[in-house]
Amino acid sequence: MVQTLDEDQRIIEFDVRTDEMLVNMGPQHPSTHGVLRLVLRTDGEIVSELEPHIGYLHRCAEKIGENLTARQWIPYTDRMDYLAAMNMNLGWSLAVEKLLRYQVSEKARHLRVLIVELNRIASHLVGMGAYGLDLGTFSPFLYAFREREKILDLYEEVCGARLTYSYITVGGMTADLPPGWLQRCEAFLDQFEPIIQEYHTLLTTNAIFVKRTATIGVLSPEMAIDYGCTGPVLRGSGVDIDLRRDGESIYTAMYDGYAFEVAVMKNGHYPRDHKYPAVPKDAVLGDCWHRFFVRMLEVVQSMDLVRQSIDRYSQCKGALGEPLKLAEKLPAGDTYLETECPKGQMGFYLVTDGTPIPWRVRARSSSFSNLAVSPELCRGCLIADVPAVVGSLDVVMGEIDR
Amino acid sequence: MNQDAFDISLSLFALIDWHGFFFLLFAAIACIAALMVVLTDNVVRMALHLILSLGATAGLFFLAGAEFIGAMQLMIYVGGTLVLLVFGVMLTAQTQLVALRTPASDRVLAGILAAALLAVLVQAAFSIESWQKSGQGIVSAPTATPLGMALVGVRVDQSAEANLLDAKGGYLLPFEIVSVHLLVVLIGAAYLARAKRRRVPRPVDLMASVDSVEPNSSVDSPSTVLSGGSE
Amino acid sequence: MAEFLIETIGLPTWFAWTAVAGLSAFLILNVIAGGALVFIWAERKIAARIQDRLGPTRTGGRFGWLQSLADGIKLLAKEDLMPDGADALLFRLAPYVSFCASFCAFIALPFAFDTVGQRLNVGVFFVVAVLGLEVFGVILAGYASASKWSLFGAMREAAQVVSYEVPLGMCVVVPVMLAGSMDLVTIGEKQAGWAVNWFIFHDPFTFVIFWVYCTCAIASVNRAPFDLAEAESELVAGFHTEYSGLRWSFFFMAEYGSMFLVSALAAILFLGGWNGPVPVSELLGFSDGVAATAPFALRFIGCMNLFLKATAGVLLMMWIRWTLPRLRIDQVMTTCLKYCTPIAAAMFLGVMLWQLFLPGGLVPGSFRAAAGVREGWLEQSYRKESAEDESLSLKKLSRHISEVSR
Repeated sequence: MVQTLDEDQRIIEFDVRTDEMLVNMGPQHPSTHGVLRLVLRTDGEIVSELEPHIGYLHRCAEKIGENLTARQWIPYTDRMDYLAAMNMNLGWSLAVEKLLRYQVSEKARHLRVLIVELNRIASHLVGMGAYGLDLGTFSPFLYAFREREKILDLYEEVCGARLTYSYITVGGMTADLPPGWLQRCEAFLDQFEPIIQEYHTLLTTNAIFVKRTATIGVLSPEMAIDYGCTGPVLRGSGVDIDLRRDGESIYTAMYDGYAFEVAVMKNGHYPRDHKYPAVPKDAVLGDCWHRFFVRMLEVVQSMDLVRQSIDRYSQCKGALGEPLKLAEKLPAGDTYLETECPKGQMGFYLVTDGTPIPWRVRARSSSFSNLAVSPELCRGCLIADVPAVVGSLDVVMGEIDR
Repeated sequence: MNQDAFDISLSLFALIDWHGFFFLLFAAIACIAALMVVLTDNVVRMALHLILSLGATAGLFFLAGAEFIGAMQLMIYVGGTLVLLVFGVMLTAQTQLVALRTPASDRVLAGILAAALLAVLVQAAFSIESWQKSGQGIVSAPTATPLGMALVGVRVDQSAEANLLDAKGGYLLPFEIVSVHLLVVLIGAAYLARAKRRRVPRPVDLMASVDSVEPNSSVDSPSTVLSGGSE
Repeated sequence: MAEFLIETIGLPTWFAWTAVAGLSAFLILNVIAGGALVFIWAERKIAARIQDRLGPTRTGGRFGWLQSLADGIKLLAKEDLMPDGADALLFRLAPYVSFCASFCAFIALPFAFDTVGQRLNVGVFFVVAVLGLEVFGVILAGYASASKWSLFGAMREAAQVVSYEVPLGMCVVVPVMLAGSMDLVTIGEKQAGWAVNWFIFHDPFTFVIFWVYCTCAIASVNRAPFDLAEAESELVAGFHTEYSGLRWSFFFMAEYGSMFLVSALAAILFLGGWNGPVPVSELLGFSDGVAATAPFALRFIGCMNLFLKATAGVLLMMWIRWTLPRLRIDQVMTTCLKYCTPIAAAMFLGVMLWQLFLPGGLVPGSFRAAAGVREGWLEQSYRKESAEDESLSLKKLSRHISEVSR
């Protein structure tokens, strides 16, 4: 896997030295995905040091959670990872349900899988499109958003909102699916499936794209684990962890009976359940290209899961079940649960004292840990690589600052 | 504007020798800009004035019908100043607009030197007899082709037979010598500017090559690398 | 034209020349400014179509064809901002430097046979040299803006343009060699006739070098995937980050002017210039001699030919821009130094050998070699003409020798 000296892009040239410059990238910068501020210490085009500064989007969501009942806090989870709000809803709901030892109906379980996996597709589409934007190509971004819009249309039918859904809630869902929705969802999947090939042509296998991402920002499995990286960032380094398979039982029970292969490179190859483009020979496991590719695979994986859940959901006979009361009393105790969100493992922690309002609420953000590794990845890279690396981590500031 | 004034201005307009006018214009720009190069404090502005001066000189060449030399002037001199400008920018980018203060004694010294040089040049220019007659400058003959042909060894101002007989008629040899010289310069520059590099160890490399590379060899200390610098 | 005014209408000489100069400048300015308006609109529409959108649809009734004009008015009305620490003189000057360079290069660019601002004996050289000056504006802007992003943009631009001038020059030399002249009018005229006479189809080497030229041209006018100087995802907007309003639009006009210029240059050097793919005038019985005395209709058709070809080039650039990701600075340099330059050099050598051994082309008589039909009329210098004919073979030989010995 080690590149030869000539090929290595991260060799620093030391004899032609210019003065170091301190550059602020953000918080108002096109490629910092919101209000991230990166302070770069540059030597010409070479970045010798990068320091992320966060806190520009802090809204005290956790503190607010200590003043609201568990269900009332659901809309605040929407605004954490606003690109995958369904997953956030689910994480919090499951955590509360774990505390309550509550189990949702079979139908609600399948519907939850359907909804969150659809949201995973939407989130990865944004991640993918915005990554193209970071690398200077605009069109894939709009291609991705075009498809995401269709998912948002579906969500709008379900819950009336396009971004902040508050659909999955403690004890179930706010409503059942409208009539005919499943057919429309299937129609979307059918027309979306061939379009993925377009993305592969424009990005994944594009020569310039590979040049820009392969061997850039290589994250070793050890370092990924040390920094607490999760999600596609971790799997892009070849660590075979996916909470949908390896998580706590209350979470994995949701995926009971679903067939899916974790999108990770094992024994030198990725899952072969579909026809994926080959890994370019320049790419090193753990580089930006692999992180991106894992997301692309997860889109297909999520499509499979959505198809399976549509089948199961339509076979379920019983009722969906009502969610819990708005001011359901929570038993005294504490609980922590992590779920596999599109960006990584999102954990919710709550301590309760017997009242409906939790005494303490904390969220463990995956983007926070993923972003923390960026100084390591960007040391010695070029300025142009900074958006490439940070973009490949696919962080969302709402989740980091909460 | 009344009719008389218009007529007068028209006739005045007609009186102007446009060739002379543009010559004076370009010459004035060249001279003033050259002076500004010397008198400005700011490096980047100096470079800008130098560009102006050289550009005006190119204009003079074009005016004289020497299009090839004019384009050459634009390409090589003005283009070369680009590099100067870049260096100026690099030098002054960090500290705000570094100014170069010249001591008064230096100014005097430079003035004396420049005046002496100017005297020599003026004397030389006026001693050329044909330059003292007017109307000598305007030649509309194409300049590029004979020059190019002569550089590859064929003098078009001689007859074909003369060319065949006298193999040394053109400027092929000087041209080749200059070419080789430039090549040597290029290679030398590439040699001097070649990268003395070291690797920044990254986790995968360390992990993958932990057996083959000793820990110290992969990270040289910066000072030893810098000592091998070109200048 | 000036002669016509003087002799037929009887205007005073000075007035005729001034009028002609003014008219030329006016026309060129309009080609650039009007072209920029059209191209900006076209770019919006093309980008929109590529991206599955509609683009402007309402301004000006249909198709949003007045959109660029509306943009222009908006830009005029915008506040003209200048950063506090900026070098005021250079900041104000920079856009005009860029624009002037782009504008000046058009002076020597023929739009049709003899329809040229100023016919220069070294037209190609002049155009390439002046085009290289555009970078000054960019560097000055980047420096004077007192912004680090602008500075990065400027330094990238400097590195890029200086490097790409080398392969670009090599590519340009090939048609010059084939035509035996640096005069753009002569180069264009040498490709008259059927499309097979175009220099791009002259031999395989010219075909390859045309694409090398395209790459270098895109790089030298800073279009994607080589638009590092204004890379918006890295440098905000690069060298024009701090510009607004009309000053900013001057940079934009210069960019579109340069795009059109390099495309027109490509058309003249490789794609037959103002000659259509089918020699209509010749087939209709207009001899070339008639073309010399120039019915204006023929020149107009020539202009249209060139405009169409150049526009095709510009559209190609837009297509590329909206498809490909951006290269990194080291990759841009690698493309130039490791690929474009050696390929251009090899092709240059190839064309030279081809000219030496197969001067008539593969199909004898299909390509009009240096002895063009209008040669006698075209060559201004009789003496040079006669000398060239005699020494043609010798010239090739000696060039060959000089190249090999190098």
